[in-house]
Amino acid sequence: MKRNLGYGLVVVILFACFAKAQRVGEPAPDFQATDSNGQVHKLAEYRGKFVVLEWHNNGCPYTRKHYESGNMQRLQKEWTSRGVIWLTVISSAPGQQGYVTAEQENEYLKRMNAVPTAALLDPQGGVGRLYAAKTTPHMFIINPEGILIYDGAIDSKATTEQSDIATATNYVSQALEEAKAGKPVSTPTSRPYGCSVKYAH
Amino acid sequence: MITHAEDAADQHVEIALISEQQAIVPDQKFILGIRFDLQEGWHTYWINPGDAGEPPRITWELPAGFQAGSVQWPYPARLSTPPFADFGYEHQVLFPVTVRPPSGLEAGGNEKIVAQVRYLICRDVCIPGQKQLVLTLPVKNRTTAGLDAALFAAARQRLPRPIPNEWRVSASSVGDEFQLRLRVVGKLTAPPQFFPLEPEQIENAAPQNITPIPGGVQLHLKKSNHLLKPISRIKGVMVVSGRAYLLDIPVSESGRVHTQSMKN
Repeated sequence: MKRNLGYGLVVVILFACFAKAQRVGEPAPDFQATDSNGQVHKLAEYRGKFVVLEWHNNGCPYTRKHYESGNMQRLQKEWTSRGVIWLTVISSAPGQQGYVTAEQENEYLKRMNAVPTAALLDPQGGVGRLYAAKTTPHMFIINPEGILIYDGAIDSKATTEQSDIATATNYVSQALEEAKAGKPVSTPTSRPYGCSVKYAH
Repeated sequence: MITHAEDAADQHVEIALISEQQAIVPDQKFILGIRFDLQEGWHTYWINPGDAGEPPRITWELPAGFQAGSVQWPYPARLSTPPFADFGYEHQVLFPVTVRPPSGLEAGGNEKIVAQVRYLICRDVCIPGQKQLVLTLPVKNRTTAGLDAALFAAARQRLPRPIPNEWRVSASSVGDEFQLRLRVVGKLTAPPQFFPLEPEQIENAAPQNITPIPGGVQLHLKKSNHLLKPISRIKGVMVVSGRAYLLDIPVSESGRVHTQSMKN
Protein backbone atom coordinates (compact mmCIF):
# COMPACT_ATOMS: atom_id res chain seq x y z
CA MET A 1 0.00 0.00 0.00
CA LYS A 2 2.71 2.40 1.03
CA ARG A 3 4.69 1.45 -2.04
CA ASN A 4 1.72 2.11 -4.31
CA LEU A 5 1.44 5.61 -2.98
CA GLY A 6 5.12 6.18 -3.45
CA TYR A 7 5.01 5.11 -7.05
CA GLY A 8 1.88 7.08 -7.81
CA LEU A 9 3.40 10.23 -6.45
CA VAL A 10 5.39 12.15 -8.95
CA VAL A 11 7.77 14.92 -8.26
CA VAL A 12 8.27 17.25 -11.14
CA ILE A 13 10.90 19.89 -10.85
CA LEU A 14 10.86 22.54 -13.50
CA PHE A 15 14.11 24.20 -14.34
CA ALA A 16 13.02 26.20 -17.31
CA CYS A 17 11.51 29.60 -17.64
CA PHE A 18 7.70 29.40 -17.51
CA ALA A 19 7.03 32.46 -19.60
CA LYS A 20 8.37 31.11 -22.85
CA ALA A 21 7.00 28.06 -24.63
CA GLN A 22 9.47 25.58 -26.01
CA ARG A 23 10.40 26.09 -29.63
CA VAL A 24 12.10 23.90 -32.20
CA GLY A 25 15.73 24.90 -32.63
CA GLU A 26 16.07 26.00 -29.01
CA PRO A 27 17.24 24.04 -25.95
CA ALA A 28 14.55 21.64 -24.71
CA PRO A 29 13.49 22.55 -21.16
CA ASP A 30 14.85 20.19 -18.55
CA PHE A 31 12.52 18.25 -16.27
CA GLN A 32 12.55 15.51 -13.71
CA ALA A 33 9.81 12.90 -13.38
CA THR A 34 9.24 9.45 -11.88
CA ASP A 35 8.43 6.45 -14.02
CA SER A 36 6.06 3.53 -13.41
CA ASN A 37 8.86 1.61 -11.66
CA GLY A 38 9.60 4.43 -9.26
CA GLN A 39 12.78 5.45 -11.02
CA VAL A 40 13.51 9.14 -11.44
CA HIS A 41 14.45 10.44 -14.88
CA LYS A 42 16.00 13.79 -15.61
CA LEU A 43 16.16 14.96 -19.22
CA ALA A 44 19.67 16.38 -18.77
CA GLU A 45 20.97 12.89 -17.94
CA TYR A 46 20.28 11.87 -21.52
CA ARG A 47 22.50 14.49 -23.09
CA GLY A 48 24.45 12.72 -25.85
CA LYS A 49 21.44 10.71 -26.97
CA PHE A 50 18.32 11.39 -28.95
CA VAL A 51 15.23 11.52 -26.75
CA VAL A 52 11.65 11.00 -27.93
CA LEU A 53 8.75 12.22 -25.76
CA GLU A 54 5.39 10.58 -26.48
CA TRP A 55 2.26 11.98 -24.80
CA HIS A 56 -0.07 9.12 -23.95
CA ASN A 57 -3.67 8.40 -22.87
CA ASN A 58 -4.65 4.74 -23.13
CA GLY A 59 -8.36 5.55 -23.59
CA CYS A 60 -7.95 8.09 -26.39
CA PRO A 61 -9.01 6.70 -29.79
CA TYR A 62 -5.95 8.26 -31.47
CA THR A 63 -3.59 6.65 -28.98
CA ARG A 64 -5.47 3.37 -29.39
CA LYS A 65 -5.05 3.62 -33.18
CA HIS A 66 -1.28 3.53 -32.76
CA TYR A 67 -1.17 0.91 -29.98
CA GLU A 68 -3.85 -1.53 -31.16
CA SER A 69 -2.20 -1.58 -34.59
CA GLY A 70 1.20 -2.18 -32.95
CA ASN A 71 2.59 0.90 -34.68
CA MET A 72 3.77 2.67 -31.53
CA GLN A 73 5.38 -0.48 -30.15
CA ARG A 74 7.22 -1.01 -33.46
CA LEU A 75 8.55 2.54 -33.31
CA GLN A 76 9.60 2.12 -29.67
CA LYS A 77 11.36 -1.15 -30.44
CA GLU A 78 13.13 0.12 -33.52
CA TRP A 79 14.34 3.40 -32.08
CA THR A 80 15.36 2.17 -28.62
CA SER A 81 17.35 -0.59 -30.34
CA ARG A 82 19.14 2.18 -32.23
CA GLY A 83 20.11 3.97 -29.04
CA VAL A 84 17.23 6.42 -28.74
CA ILE A 85 15.69 7.13 -25.32
CA TRP A 86 11.90 6.86 -25.62
CA LEU A 87 9.89 8.39 -22.80
CA THR A 88 6.13 7.88 -22.76
CA VAL A 89 4.55 10.67 -20.68
CA ILE A 90 1.12 10.41 -19.06
CA SER A 91 -0.24 13.80 -18.01
CA SER A 92 -3.86 12.78 -17.37
CA ALA A 93 -5.00 14.07 -13.97
CA PRO A 94 -6.55 11.71 -11.41
CA GLY A 95 -10.18 11.05 -12.36
CA GLN A 96 -9.53 11.92 -16.00
CA GLN A 97 -9.31 9.59 -18.98
CA GLY A 98 -5.90 7.96 -19.23
CA TYR A 99 -4.89 8.48 -15.61
CA VAL A 100 -3.11 5.37 -14.35
CA THR A 101 -1.35 4.22 -11.22
CA ALA A 102 2.14 2.80 -11.58
CA GLU A 103 0.77 -0.76 -11.34
CA GLN A 104 -1.88 -0.10 -13.96
CA GLU A 105 0.70 1.37 -16.31
CA ASN A 106 3.06 -1.58 -15.86
CA GLU A 107 0.20 -3.97 -16.53
CA TYR A 108 -0.68 -1.95 -19.67
CA LEU A 109 2.90 -1.91 -20.96
CA LYS A 110 3.10 -5.67 -20.52
CA ARG A 111 -0.29 -6.39 -22.09
CA MET A 112 0.43 -4.15 -25.10
CA ASN A 113 4.06 -5.31 -25.47
CA ALA A 114 5.04 -1.67 -25.29
CA VAL A 115 8.76 -1.06 -24.88
CA PRO A 116 9.47 2.61 -24.18
CA THR A 117 12.64 3.29 -22.18
CA ALA A 118 10.27 4.42 -19.43
CA ALA A 119 6.69 5.57 -18.85
CA LEU A 120 6.70 8.80 -16.86
CA LEU A 121 3.75 9.53 -14.58
CA ASP A 122 2.88 13.22 -14.70
CA PRO A 123 -0.56 13.51 -13.05
CA GLN A 124 0.09 17.12 -12.02
CA GLY A 125 0.75 17.92 -15.69
CA GLY A 126 4.00 19.75 -14.96
CA VAL A 127 6.01 18.14 -17.76
CA GLY A 128 3.05 18.41 -20.13
CA ARG A 129 2.56 22.12 -19.51
CA LEU A 130 6.30 22.74 -19.71
CA TYR A 131 6.27 21.33 -23.25
CA ALA A 132 2.79 22.68 -24.07
CA ALA A 133 1.78 19.12 -24.93
CA LYS A 134 -1.64 19.44 -26.55
CA THR A 135 -2.76 16.06 -27.72
CA THR A 136 -2.36 12.33 -27.31
CA PRO A 137 -0.27 11.43 -29.07
CA HIS A 138 1.94 14.55 -29.26
CA MET A 139 5.56 13.83 -30.11
CA PHE A 140 8.77 15.71 -29.35
CA ILE A 141 12.35 14.87 -30.31
CA ILE A 142 15.43 16.23 -28.55
CA ASN A 143 18.85 15.82 -30.14
CA PRO A 144 22.07 14.76 -28.35
CA GLU A 145 22.94 18.44 -27.79
CA GLY A 146 19.67 18.95 -25.92
CA ILE A 147 18.02 20.95 -28.72
CA LEU A 148 14.37 20.39 -29.56
CA ILE A 149 14.28 19.23 -33.18
CA TYR A 150 10.69 18.07 -33.63
CA ASP A 151 7.35 19.12 -32.13
CA GLY A 152 4.12 17.79 -33.58
CA ALA A 153 2.05 14.87 -34.78
CA ILE A 154 3.18 11.28 -34.94
CA ASP A 155 2.34 11.14 -38.65
CA SER A 156 0.65 12.90 -41.53
CA LYS A 157 -2.83 11.36 -41.33
CA ALA A 158 -4.95 12.89 -38.59
CA THR A 159 -7.52 10.15 -38.21
CA THR A 160 -8.46 7.36 -35.81
CA GLU A 161 -8.25 4.70 -38.52
CA GLN A 162 -5.51 2.10 -38.31
CA SER A 163 -5.69 1.60 -42.08
CA ASP A 164 -4.24 5.10 -42.55
CA ILE A 165 -0.95 4.26 -40.81
CA ALA A 166 0.59 2.40 -43.75
CA THR A 167 0.18 5.31 -46.15
CA ALA A 168 1.04 8.11 -43.70
CA THR A 169 4.44 9.76 -43.43
CA ASN A 170 5.76 9.05 -39.93
CA TYR A 171 7.24 12.37 -38.87
CA VAL A 172 9.09 10.89 -35.88
CA SER A 173 10.98 8.27 -37.88
CA GLN A 174 11.60 10.75 -40.66
CA ALA A 175 13.06 13.32 -38.26
CA LEU A 176 15.20 10.73 -36.45
CA GLU A 177 16.54 9.28 -39.71
CA GLU A 178 17.38 12.74 -41.02
CA ALA A 179 18.95 13.97 -37.78
CA LYS A 180 21.00 10.80 -37.34
CA ALA A 181 22.31 11.25 -40.89
CA GLY A 182 23.34 14.79 -40.01
CA LYS A 183 20.67 16.35 -42.22
CA PRO A 184 18.24 19.08 -41.27
CA VAL A 185 14.80 17.84 -40.23
CA SER A 186 12.51 18.43 -43.22
CA THR A 187 9.31 18.62 -41.16
CA PRO A 188 10.33 20.10 -37.79
CA THR A 189 6.77 21.00 -36.70
CA SER A 190 3.30 19.80 -37.56
CA ARG A 191 -0.13 20.14 -36.02
CA PRO A 192 -0.27 17.45 -33.35
CA TYR A 193 -3.52 15.52 -33.73
CA GLY A 194 -5.54 13.58 -31.23
CA CYS A 195 -7.49 14.02 -28.00
CA SER A 196 -6.63 16.98 -25.82
CA VAL A 197 -4.27 16.12 -22.94
CA LYS A 198 -6.48 15.63 -19.87
CA TYR A 199 -4.82 18.08 -17.50
CA ALA A 200 -6.18 18.88 -14.05
CA HIS A 201 -8.59 21.80 -14.30
CA MET B 1 -23.33 -5.68 -24.15
CA ILE B 2 -20.17 -3.99 -25.32
CA THR B 3 -20.73 -2.15 -28.55
CA HIS B 4 -18.50 -0.77 -31.26
CA ALA B 5 -17.08 2.71 -31.04
CA GLU B 6 -19.47 3.68 -33.86
CA ASP B 7 -22.45 2.67 -31.78
CA ALA B 8 -21.11 4.45 -28.73
CA ALA B 9 -20.86 7.73 -30.66
CA ASP B 10 -24.39 7.13 -31.94
CA GLN B 11 -25.71 7.43 -28.42
CA HIS B 12 -24.65 11.07 -28.26
CA VAL B 13 -25.33 12.39 -31.74
CA GLU B 14 -27.97 12.00 -34.43
CA ILE B 15 -26.77 12.52 -37.98
CA ALA B 16 -29.07 12.90 -40.96
CA LEU B 17 -28.83 13.57 -44.69
CA ILE B 18 -31.48 16.11 -45.63
CA SER B 19 -32.49 18.11 -48.71
CA GLU B 20 -33.40 21.77 -49.00
CA GLN B 21 -36.08 20.99 -51.55
CA GLN B 22 -38.48 18.09 -51.88
CA ALA B 23 -37.40 16.96 -55.33
CA ILE B 24 -34.56 17.10 -57.82
CA VAL B 25 -35.39 19.31 -60.82
CA PRO B 26 -33.69 18.44 -64.15
CA ASP B 27 -30.73 20.70 -64.98
CA GLN B 28 -30.86 22.51 -61.63
CA LYS B 29 -28.31 22.19 -58.90
CA PHE B 30 -29.70 21.50 -55.43
CA ILE B 31 -28.47 21.66 -51.86
CA LEU B 32 -28.16 18.71 -49.52
CA GLY B 33 -27.05 18.93 -45.92
CA ILE B 34 -25.49 16.73 -43.28
CA ARG B 35 -27.13 17.63 -40.00
CA PHE B 36 -25.60 16.85 -36.61
CA ASP B 37 -27.81 16.98 -33.52
CA LEU B 38 -25.49 16.66 -30.55
CA GLN B 39 -26.39 15.81 -27.00
CA GLU B 40 -25.76 18.55 -24.45
CA GLY B 41 -22.06 18.77 -23.62
CA TRP B 42 -20.82 17.15 -26.86
CA HIS B 43 -19.28 18.86 -29.83
CA THR B 44 -17.90 18.13 -33.28
CA TYR B 45 -15.37 20.12 -35.27
CA TRP B 46 -14.83 22.82 -37.87
CA ILE B 47 -12.53 22.30 -40.90
CA ASN B 48 -9.64 23.50 -38.69
CA PRO B 49 -10.43 21.82 -35.39
CA GLY B 50 -7.98 23.89 -33.36
CA ASP B 51 -5.83 22.31 -30.67
CA ALA B 52 -7.43 18.85 -30.76
CA GLY B 53 -10.10 16.91 -32.61
CA GLU B 54 -10.91 16.24 -36.24
CA PRO B 55 -13.47 17.58 -38.72
CA PRO B 56 -16.14 15.28 -40.18
CA ARG B 57 -15.33 13.68 -43.53
CA ILE B 58 -17.98 12.83 -46.07
CA THR B 59 -17.71 10.35 -48.92
CA TRP B 60 -20.52 10.35 -51.47
CA GLU B 61 -22.02 7.50 -53.44
CA LEU B 62 -24.04 9.32 -56.05
CA PRO B 63 -26.16 8.16 -58.99
CA ALA B 64 -24.33 8.14 -62.34
CA GLY B 65 -23.46 11.63 -63.58
CA PHE B 66 -24.26 13.43 -60.30
CA GLN B 67 -21.51 15.61 -58.80
CA ALA B 68 -21.21 16.83 -55.23
CA GLY B 69 -19.29 20.01 -54.38
CA SER B 70 -17.16 20.39 -51.31
CA VAL B 71 -18.58 20.63 -47.82
CA GLN B 72 -19.36 24.17 -46.73
CA TRP B 73 -18.43 25.01 -43.16
CA PRO B 74 -20.60 27.36 -41.11
CA TYR B 75 -18.40 29.46 -38.86
CA PRO B 76 -17.65 27.66 -35.61
CA ALA B 77 -17.77 28.47 -31.93
CA ARG B 78 -14.57 28.85 -29.99
CA LEU B 79 -14.61 25.97 -27.50
CA SER B 80 -12.27 26.95 -24.76
CA THR B 81 -10.88 24.56 -22.16
CA PRO B 82 -7.68 26.22 -20.96
CA PRO B 83 -4.91 25.75 -21.92
CA PHE B 84 -6.66 24.72 -25.15
CA ALA B 85 -9.10 26.16 -27.65
CA ASP B 86 -10.91 24.07 -30.22
CA PHE B 87 -13.15 25.29 -33.05
CA GLY B 88 -16.39 23.43 -33.49
CA TYR B 89 -20.08 23.08 -32.96
CA GLU B 90 -22.36 22.24 -30.08
CA HIS B 91 -26.07 21.34 -30.16
CA GLN B 92 -26.81 21.47 -33.89
CA VAL B 93 -24.94 22.14 -37.10
CA LEU B 94 -25.82 21.70 -40.76
CA PHE B 95 -23.10 21.29 -43.40
CA PRO B 96 -24.51 22.26 -46.82
CA VAL B 97 -23.24 20.63 -50.02
CA THR B 98 -24.24 21.60 -53.55
CA VAL B 99 -25.07 18.72 -55.91
CA ARG B 100 -25.39 18.93 -59.70
CA PRO B 101 -27.48 16.37 -61.57
CA PRO B 102 -26.29 15.25 -65.00
CA SER B 103 -27.68 17.21 -67.90
CA GLY B 104 -30.56 15.50 -69.61
CA LEU B 105 -31.92 13.92 -66.43
CA GLU B 106 -35.63 13.31 -66.92
CA ALA B 107 -38.50 13.75 -64.48
CA GLY B 108 -40.37 10.72 -63.24
CA GLY B 109 -37.81 8.58 -61.46
CA ASN B 110 -36.20 8.44 -58.02
CA GLU B 111 -32.55 8.96 -57.21
CA LYS B 112 -30.78 7.37 -54.27
CA ILE B 113 -27.96 9.33 -52.64
CA VAL B 114 -25.64 7.79 -50.07
CA ALA B 115 -23.22 9.65 -47.80
CA GLN B 116 -20.64 7.93 -45.63
CA VAL B 117 -19.78 10.18 -42.73
CA ARG B 118 -16.76 9.71 -40.52
CA TYR B 119 -16.69 11.99 -37.54
CA LEU B 120 -15.38 12.64 -34.07
CA ILE B 121 -17.42 13.90 -31.16
CA CYS B 122 -15.92 14.95 -27.85
CA ARG B 123 -17.04 15.97 -24.40
CA ASP B 124 -14.37 15.32 -21.76
CA VAL B 125 -13.55 12.23 -23.85
CA CYS B 126 -13.64 11.70 -27.62
CA ILE B 127 -15.46 9.04 -29.63
CA PRO B 128 -15.00 8.45 -33.35
CA GLY B 129 -18.06 7.42 -35.31
CA GLN B 130 -19.05 6.32 -38.75
CA LYS B 131 -22.49 6.44 -40.30
CA GLN B 132 -24.05 5.62 -43.65
CA LEU B 133 -26.85 8.00 -44.57
CA VAL B 134 -29.32 7.38 -47.39
CA LEU B 135 -31.72 9.80 -49.03
CA THR B 136 -34.02 9.06 -51.94
CA LEU B 137 -35.44 12.02 -53.84
CA PRO B 138 -37.93 12.02 -56.72
CA VAL B 139 -37.07 13.82 -59.97
CA LYS B 140 -39.82 16.31 -60.84
CA ASN B 141 -40.21 19.25 -63.15
CA ARG B 142 -40.95 21.57 -60.25
CA THR B 143 -40.49 21.37 -56.53
CA THR B 144 -41.16 23.18 -53.27
CA ALA B 145 -39.05 23.83 -50.23
CA GLY B 146 -38.53 20.85 -47.94
CA LEU B 147 -39.38 20.75 -44.26
CA ASP B 148 -35.83 21.74 -43.34
CA ALA B 149 -35.56 24.81 -45.59
CA ALA B 150 -35.31 27.10 -42.55
CA LEU B 151 -32.30 25.12 -41.30
CA PHE B 152 -30.56 25.62 -44.64
CA ALA B 153 -31.28 29.33 -44.53
CA ALA B 154 -29.80 29.50 -41.02
CA ALA B 155 -26.70 27.55 -42.07
CA ARG B 156 -26.21 29.86 -45.05
CA GLN B 157 -26.19 32.83 -42.68
CA ARG B 158 -23.17 31.30 -40.99
CA LEU B 159 -21.14 30.62 -44.14
CA PRO B 160 -18.20 32.94 -44.82
CA ARG B 161 -18.67 35.45 -47.60
CA PRO B 162 -16.15 37.71 -49.39
CA ILE B 163 -15.09 40.85 -47.58
CA PRO B 164 -17.14 43.85 -48.77
CA ASN B 165 -15.24 46.03 -51.25
CA GLU B 166 -15.54 49.12 -49.12
CA TRP B 167 -13.85 47.55 -46.10
CA ARG B 168 -10.14 47.95 -45.51
CA VAL B 169 -8.32 45.00 -44.05
CA SER B 170 -4.58 44.59 -43.57
CA ALA B 171 -2.19 42.43 -41.61
CA SER B 172 1.32 42.84 -40.31
CA SER B 173 3.81 40.77 -38.37
CA VAL B 174 5.08 42.57 -35.28
CA GLY B 175 7.25 40.66 -32.83
CA ASP B 176 5.40 37.62 -31.53
CA GLU B 177 2.04 38.67 -32.92
CA PHE B 178 0.12 39.29 -36.10
CA GLN B 179 -1.91 42.47 -36.14
CA LEU B 180 -5.07 42.51 -38.21
CA ARG B 181 -6.47 45.95 -38.94
CA LEU B 182 -10.09 46.13 -39.81
CA ARG B 183 -11.96 49.19 -41.01
CA VAL B 184 -15.56 48.33 -41.69
CA VAL B 185 -18.54 50.28 -42.88
CA GLY B 186 -21.15 50.36 -40.13
CA LYS B 187 -20.98 49.78 -36.42
CA LEU B 188 -19.39 46.77 -34.76
CA THR B 189 -21.94 45.17 -32.47
CA ALA B 190 -19.48 42.71 -30.95
CA PRO B 191 -15.71 42.24 -30.85
CA PRO B 192 -14.53 40.63 -34.10
CA GLN B 193 -13.25 37.08 -33.79
CA PHE B 194 -10.68 35.40 -36.03
CA PHE B 195 -10.70 31.67 -36.79
CA PRO B 196 -7.51 30.53 -38.54
CA LEU B 197 -7.85 28.31 -41.59
CA GLU B 198 -4.18 27.34 -41.49
CA PRO B 199 -3.56 25.19 -38.41
CA GLU B 200 -0.20 26.57 -37.33
CA GLN B 201 -0.22 30.30 -37.88
CA ILE B 202 -1.57 31.47 -34.51
CA GLU B 203 -1.92 30.15 -30.97
CA ASN B 204 -5.52 29.01 -30.89
CA ALA B 205 -6.01 29.51 -27.17
CA ALA B 206 -4.38 32.94 -26.85
CA PRO B 207 -6.80 35.80 -26.19
CA GLN B 208 -7.49 37.93 -29.26
CA ASN B 209 -7.03 41.38 -27.80
CA ILE B 210 -8.66 44.26 -29.60
CA THR B 211 -7.46 47.86 -29.65
CA PRO B 212 -9.10 50.83 -31.38
CA ILE B 213 -7.49 52.45 -34.44
CA PRO B 214 -8.84 55.43 -36.42
CA GLY B 215 -11.92 54.20 -38.22
CA GLY B 216 -11.74 50.65 -36.95
CA VAL B 217 -10.13 48.09 -34.72
CA GLN B 218 -6.96 46.09 -34.53
CA LEU B 219 -6.87 42.41 -33.51
CA HIS B 220 -3.76 41.07 -31.84
CA LEU B 221 -3.14 37.41 -32.70
CA LYS B 222 -0.34 35.57 -30.94
CA LYS B 223 1.92 33.69 -33.34
CA SER B 224 2.05 29.91 -33.05
CA ASN B 225 5.26 28.66 -31.50
CA HIS B 226 5.30 26.17 -34.39
CA LEU B 227 5.82 29.03 -36.80
CA LEU B 228 9.51 28.87 -37.63
CA LYS B 229 9.50 31.07 -40.75
CA PRO B 230 7.67 34.26 -41.72
CA ILE B 231 4.37 33.73 -43.52
CA SER B 232 3.38 35.66 -46.62
CA ARG B 233 -0.39 35.42 -46.14
CA ILE B 234 -2.77 34.95 -43.26
CA LYS B 235 -5.89 32.97 -43.92
CA GLY B 236 -9.00 32.57 -41.84
CA VAL B 237 -12.60 33.38 -41.18
CA MET B 238 -13.36 36.67 -39.46
CA VAL B 239 -16.64 36.96 -37.64
CA VAL B 240 -17.83 40.56 -37.51
CA SER B 241 -21.16 41.49 -35.96
CA GLY B 242 -22.48 37.95 -36.31
CA ARG B 243 -21.46 37.44 -39.95
CA ALA B 244 -18.48 35.54 -41.26
CA TYR B 245 -16.02 36.78 -43.87
CA LEU B 246 -13.27 34.92 -45.65
CA LEU B 247 -9.92 36.55 -45.10
CA ASP B 248 -6.84 35.70 -47.17
CA ILE B 249 -4.50 38.68 -47.17
CA PRO B 250 -0.78 39.41 -47.37
CA VAL B 251 1.19 39.91 -44.17
CA SER B 252 3.69 42.76 -44.12
CA GLU B 253 6.75 42.54 -41.89
CA SER B 254 7.12 44.65 -38.73
CA GLY B 255 5.53 48.01 -38.97
CA ARG B 256 5.31 48.32 -42.75
CA VAL B 257 1.62 48.02 -43.34
CA HIS B 258 0.27 46.59 -46.51
CA THR B 259 -3.25 47.87 -47.04
CA GLN B 260 -5.35 46.78 -49.91
CA SER B 261 -8.86 47.03 -51.07
CA MET B 262 -10.53 43.66 -50.96
CA LYS B 263 -11.62 42.66 -54.43
CA ASN B 264 -12.93 39.21 -55.00
